[in-house]
Amino acid sequence: MAEKAGTGKNFEREPAKRVFATELREARVQFREGTDDMSPTYIMLPTGERCNRIFFCGELKNKEKRGDQNIFYTARVKDATGVFFINAGSYQQDAMLRMASLENESYVAVSGKPVIKEMPDGGFFVSVRVESISEVDDETYRLCLDDTAKATLDRIEIFGETEDSAKAGEFYSTDTKKYLKIVYNALAGENY
Amino acid sequence: MDIDPAITERISLKIKEKGIDAGDEEIAAKLRILTEDFHIPPEEAEKTVTDEILKENKVTDFSGDKPSDMTDIADAAPGDWVTVEGKVVSVSEHPSESIAQSGILADRTGAINFVVWNKAGVKPLKELEWYRFESAVVDEFRGAPNLKIHSGTKVTKTEQETPLIPQPVRISDLKPGVATIRAKVVREFDAGHERMLQTGLLGDETGTVRFVIWKDSSSEILSEDKIYTIYYADASEYQGKISLNITGSMVLEEEDTEIEVYEGDTEIYGAFIHMGSGSGLIKRCPVEGCNKTLSRQNFCPIHEMQNDFRYDLRITGVIDDGKNAKNILIQRAEAERITGITLDSAIETATEGPLGYDDVVMKMKDAMLGRYFTCKGNDMDGTVLVKSCTSGRYDSSVHAGLLNRTSEMLKEKDGEH
Repeated sequence: MAEKAGTGKNFEREPAKRVFATELREARVQFREGTDDMSPTYIMLPTGERCNRIFFCGELKNKEKRGDQNIFYTARVKDATGVFFINAGSYQQDAMLRMASLENESYVAVSGKPVIKEMPDGGFFVSVRVESISEVDDETYRLCLDDTAKATLDRIEIFGETEDSAKAGEFYSTDTKKYLKIVYNALAGENY
Repeated sequence: MDIDPAITERISLKIKEKGIDAGDEEIAAKLRILTEDFHIPPEEAEKTVTDEILKENKVTDFSGDKPSDMTDIADAAPGDWVTVEGKVVSVSEHPSESIAQSGILADRTGAINFVVWNKAGVKPLKELEWYRFESAVVDEFRGAPNLKIHSGTKVTKTEQETPLIPQPVRISDLKPGVATIRAKVVREFDAGHERMLQTGLLGDETGTVRFVIWKDSSSEILSEDKIYTIYYADASEYQGKISLNITGSMVLEEEDTEIEVYEGDTEIYGAFIHMGSGSGLIKRCPVEGCNKTLSRQNFCPIHEMQNDFRYDLRITGVIDDGKNAKNILIQRAEAERITGITLDSAIETATEGPLGYDDVVMKMKDAMLGRYFTCKGNDMDGTVLVKSCTSGRYDSSVHAGLLNRTSEMLKEKDGEH
């Protein structure tokens, strides 16, 4: 309930970083800044920015209701580059109720927390725990695409110059050209 | 606005008496900052500039005999051993056993919190009397200087004829310690604590500051939009921001005067990604000057049950541009426009619909969550009070620009190999 504490004190809310699905799926580093229970968890993006929260738009797919007693919803959200895996359970009551009423194939805007899980087979699964989800129009989807493209370009432009991006470069051996191509294809996508 | 040369000349003459030659240009420049940037009336600016120049040149207006080892309260810095003379403007009992008294000591340069240790063996200080303290220690308490009167401090009662008129500090100049300000109540916040009487924002020509009044026997509630001089308030710093505790401070309402509160112009563009719990249809206290938000049971924290409330609409939430998350507050008119939900239709939904008040919030979320907006307004203590809000519009030239930028960056990469 960190958000609630923010109303009275000078709590700084973590901004929602803009990232394309393809890049998010390649994130492998998850870390915590500070040692106490309330300190935020971040994931490090290959293009060199930490994020505790992300925001994206896309088409809702494969919505599923799961669990017997503890109901939760999972779904995919397809953006111009790939898919995000999203979920909302009883701890995200509001988001879960929203997801229950949303229909597949509709455009949605999502903000939530990215989570990296290592699977038993040694693979990684990156998902997003939804904080808020809502149906949006085509125009919002396009604004978000441009917004995300710009944020990615901005990161690539200063790649290696910031402490976080230097670390990201070391860990991921990031090929920034690959991400430039992803941005290009997203912007030039046949939808537009 | 041009500076009246007569003012410049008056200041120039006045400081020459003290043996300072500042140059008309410098004086005019200082005046211009105050009158043009801060919209301070010329008469007031004249006084401020004169004082400032005298202070810069370490000349004080003090006309009486001032022993050379006497420290002005304004100059007392943590770590100093000082001799100060001042008027006790307030004393209070202190819950700690080792402390006999605490209070505020003021001279013409400023004021400071003081503490008298029990061990000091000092006869109780009386309010409104003047004292000289020799060999007192200044230390720091919560970032503010604090005068400690201990067993080695010599305390003598003194006589002073001159009345003590505290100089108000401009809000942008506030620092931790004791301060007198002249300001307007620009906004009230909901009190977040049962012991809190009132909290809100005070503003003057230079900025705004949060204030709080805790419940005690003497404090009264301030009214929104009224102007007050608040004497010897306690300024403290938390996470880089100053706030004022004015519990027990002497507060005088100023009538027939106006303050043009500094309004920062903030413009933010981003996605509305969170709607706060204070959003939707709310009820306000009808008591004149109160206007507080009532609970669902029509309970005002000050005026208790108020069944004759009036309805209002508002939206609180967060606009996020990917770098910063900014709290915003949208008042009724803009909220109606941007969501298409009028106050009347919201009342109907809330009172007649099966889901009541929650349904209004749901409808607002449908209209706003996840969408892009440009909001303009004043940033007041971290929350932007939105004056105008417009939906983001897709711009194909922005899109084309991004495509070009990407191809340029790709070309550059190719050139590197």
